[in-house]
Amino acid sequence: MAKQMKVLTEKDLQQVTVQQKIFKVLSQIALYTFLIVMAIIVIFPFYWMIISSLKSLAEYRLSIPTLFPKEIMWGNYLQAFQKAELLKLFKNTIIVGVVSTILSLVITIITAFAFARLEFKGKNLLFSMLLGTMMIPGELFTITNFTTITEFGWYKNPNWFEGYAVLIVPFLVSVFYIYLLKQNFMQIPNELYLAAKVDGTSDFKYLCKVMIPLSLPTLISITILKMMGSWNSYVWPRLVAHKDYYLITNGLRSAFTDAGSGEADIPVQMAAVTIVSIPLFLVFIFLRKYIMKGVSRSGIKG
Amino acid sequence: MKVELRNLTKIFPSRNKKAGGEVIAVNDFTFTIPDGKLVGLLGPSGCGKSTTLYMISGLQKPSSGQIFFGEEDVTTLSPENRGVGLVFQNYALYPHMTVKQNILFPLQNLKGKDKMTKEEMLERAYEAAKLVQIDELMDRKPSELSGGQQQRVAIARALVKMPRVLLLDEPLSNLDARLRLQTREEIRRIQKETGITTVFVTHDQEEAMSISDMIVVMKLGVVQQVGAPQEVYDDPANLFVAKFLGTPPINVFKGRVAGGKLYLAENAVLDVPGVEDREVFVGIRPEGFNLDPEGPMVCDLKNVEVMGRDMSVVCEHPASVNPLVRAIINSDNKVDLSKAKVSYSLKPHKVFIFDAETENRIRF
Amino acid sequence: MVDSKHQWKAWLYLLPAIILLLIFTVWPIFNTVRMAFTVYWDAEAPAGFDEDGMQLCDENGNPLWGKYQGYTISKDLGNKKLADDDPAKVKFEFGLDNFIHVLTYDGFWTIMKNTVILCVLTVPLSTFLALLIAVCLNAIKPLQRVLQTIFFLPYVTNSIAIGMVFAAMFNIVGVNTTDVAASTSVGIVNTVLMVFGLDPINWINQGSTYWANIAVMVIYIVWNALPFKILILLGGLQSVNKQYYDAAKIDSTPKWRVFTRITVPLLSPMIAYVVITGFIGGFKEYTSIVGIFGEKMQPPGAAVGVPVLQTMVGYIYDNLGNAEGVASAAALLLFVLIFAVTLVNLGVSKKKTHY
Repeated sequence: MAKQMKVLTEKDLQQVTVQQKIFKVLSQIALYTFLIVMAIIVIFPFYWMIISSLKSLAEYRLSIPTLFPKEIMWGNYLQAFQKAELLKLFKNTIIVGVVSTILSLVITIITAFAFARLEFKGKNLLFSMLLGTMMIPGELFTITNFTTITEFGWYKNPNWFEGYAVLIVPFLVSVFYIYLLKQNFMQIPNELYLAAKVDGTSDFKYLCKVMIPLSLPTLISITILKMMGSWNSYVWPRLVAHKDYYLITNGLRSAFTDAGSGEADIPVQMAAVTIVSIPLFLVFIFLRKYIMKGVSRSGIKG
Repeated sequence: MKVELRNLTKIFPSRNKKAGGEVIAVNDFTFTIPDGKLVGLLGPSGCGKSTTLYMISGLQKPSSGQIFFGEEDVTTLSPENRGVGLVFQNYALYPHMTVKQNILFPLQNLKGKDKMTKEEMLERAYEAAKLVQIDELMDRKPSELSGGQQQRVAIARALVKMPRVLLLDEPLSNLDARLRLQTREEIRRIQKETGITTVFVTHDQEEAMSISDMIVVMKLGVVQQVGAPQEVYDDPANLFVAKFLGTPPINVFKGRVAGGKLYLAENAVLDVPGVEDREVFVGIRPEGFNLDPEGPMVCDLKNVEVMGRDMSVVCEHPASVNPLVRAIINSDNKVDLSKAKVSYSLKPHKVFIFDAETENRIRF
Repeated sequence: MVDSKHQWKAWLYLLPAIILLLIFTVWPIFNTVRMAFTVYWDAEAPAGFDEDGMQLCDENGNPLWGKYQGYTISKDLGNKKLADDDPAKVKFEFGLDNFIHVLTYDGFWTIMKNTVILCVLTVPLSTFLALLIAVCLNAIKPLQRVLQTIFFLPYVTNSIAIGMVFAAMFNIVGVNTTDVAASTSVGIVNTVLMVFGLDPINWINQGSTYWANIAVMVIYIVWNALPFKILILLGGLQSVNKQYYDAAKIDSTPKWRVFTRITVPLLSPMIAYVVITGFIGGFKEYTSIVGIFGEKMQPPGAAVGVPVLQTMVGYIYDNLGNAEGVASAAALLLFVLIFAVTLVNLGVSKKKTHY
């Protein structure tokens, strides 16, 4: 076979060692520079949102923008609350978020339990059919659901029950959450279930005492994603909800429809946006682990 | 290429930060691997043998000490500049490339005056493939190969750039028993044909003994003994080495030396001239027993397993550390199973005595 | 496991989910197909209703009558009960008219153009950037977690709300003002451009060009898409066996070659995944446009008619409430398009990643 690889001389050796070091340092500098520049770009809109929300309109309009408000205008927040009726929007969003999360969790848990632990005819067929529906874009359902809720008399209904129901009921069942939880339930060893059966524990008690505690991380992920969902939902409430039952995003958009016309009171607008964003940031800071876990498995926003 | 390790030490920070402390994976390892030899690093898991291999490759930096390739100090050199070939335990073949692409890959990285034309590369790749007898499989993907074939591809990939040193990490551990025998012969043959200095790591003493020119026995980061396989087997430096080498394993007894005689459970079994009186461990190789009705060592006969040419006589002895004592006897001899006892005389060169405290060998 | 006598129990557990799914998932699938292929024909029925449920009329205020497409639920909205049982007046028949209506809609070309432009620009750009960031993040030790958190931040935001922030950043304030005392700001983005000696651009205000609008949308969509892609790709990178990189190092592989020949191919399933979800998202683009331009989906003062930045989803929602048949046909077309693009993507990625 061919000659072996060359032997380095003493001088080569030193040169190579030095080159190695320089290359390493330079590449580290390049890496960090790139990442930090990108991080600044990513985070800049948030920074701009917050400082703009604290400026006076006159300061905001300065031809050379200031990077920090000269005078902090907390009054913008008060104005935002009044102009966008944020309190009402918050109330609606929280009611819809909490109620739909609780109901949705209950349905998801019992359904996933039935699929994971109980035996019945056609189980696998039914489950594959459910998974199949995940491929269809949501807009396709929206059209008929719009018709259906109109038939129910829920369309822009000012009564509280119908007003909230129209926002909650159509989205109670999520095939994806059922799938996620079912997978989690399946990982719990069957022996635990059989042992419970031998001890005379009912299915329901077993579900509450064993399966739910063991699947808590998944349930937390589902809760957060569901809550974020109602916080961010825009299209459906806009289509069918009565104005009194608008959610936060709808109120935000419709209170400041003049964006882009050049004449909006942007600081107040930014104050409103900040108020809407802060709960999300708080959730993110404290529950990042669960969100990231849920997201990386789902690939669905909200 | 001669490889020299001088006072090589590797210290890992402890995994459990709160507990503090550190783990010494390799402790003050000094050893010279002669040019063109096949050396086996041998020891139980966690003895630092893989760490040593990775330090030679450059993937891990030693905490102190030096590594020389020939006269060249490569201690601070990064792996890409060392010119070594490394075969990983689970081969690390790129799953998305064919066998050919895998073997070509190292050649395509060559720069400057080492740069080759496409034809040269192909020629070299086929040469390497032929050497390990996989030239028929060049267009397959690794997932379409058996474990043994993947192993050969990995070796071809390591060899194709003509490394100065070839390193193999547990090369046989992922193969089944039959393939293991076959592949270790292959490795021996390839190493002989190429003449590349080769270091391999294994926890299987039989594997190391069968193909190495030299073995290094390690325990907890410390080298126990270095030498040719037969030498180490015949002349272990301590109880650990004696126990680690040999199948079936050595029989270990608790004994006592008094007045130049070795006592096992009150019977003098062997003359050990010049050894001071003391408590000792006694190791007797299974082949160190002779059937002898007059023999001084009397055991309770349990069972006889005939293995063709040899037979294995299983018995019990009150001084034995293990529950059973096993002797390998030529099957021309007959053992009367109806008797409860069997007597042996011992071959002195197959009996080793070790200090009871330090476990170091006491020669006699 | 469980006695077959107890099967009814399992169904009891499933009951709530099944009822809701039948109403809100299964029925819509059938009904959407049915509506899309149904032509409603009624010589004396009103031609339709506007958003507030008022009948459409001609210039003289007379209601418009005649044939039109779309199975309508507007019968309740307009207080006009249709005599469904009168065969002389009302006819439902199978037909492709709804699809023809969508395909001949004068905005259909706009929709396709916007969709293609947004997909072609945002998907490769965001995937490439995300890959670069993920690889860099994977290569550093200090600050890794902090930076990872920052890059994930845009994910947990409300796309309408942050759309308004982007609008503000690109907004030129005070161009139309009559208040001469008020100074004007060209917006922070233009200010940055001017620092680099470039002229400010009218991004989203009245009179802004189509390409300026698209540029803003591309920046916003990429910004919005990065976190998810980085998360998936970084997860993929962290699960790649380190030995491949060790092996490459031993073989003196240059960094760039490690990236193109090892990292990218090994990551190809994840890359295919983010590209496919990126395309699906691109086809369903709606809220991010609303976030920046409002529901008119175009800069203020633009001509009435088909919105400049109209998308398929926007079109579907426009038709909701007065022409469900058309909306259904559009939704089915969207589904088919997404399905086709996904298949093509899968086909391409299969050719490139067969392992």
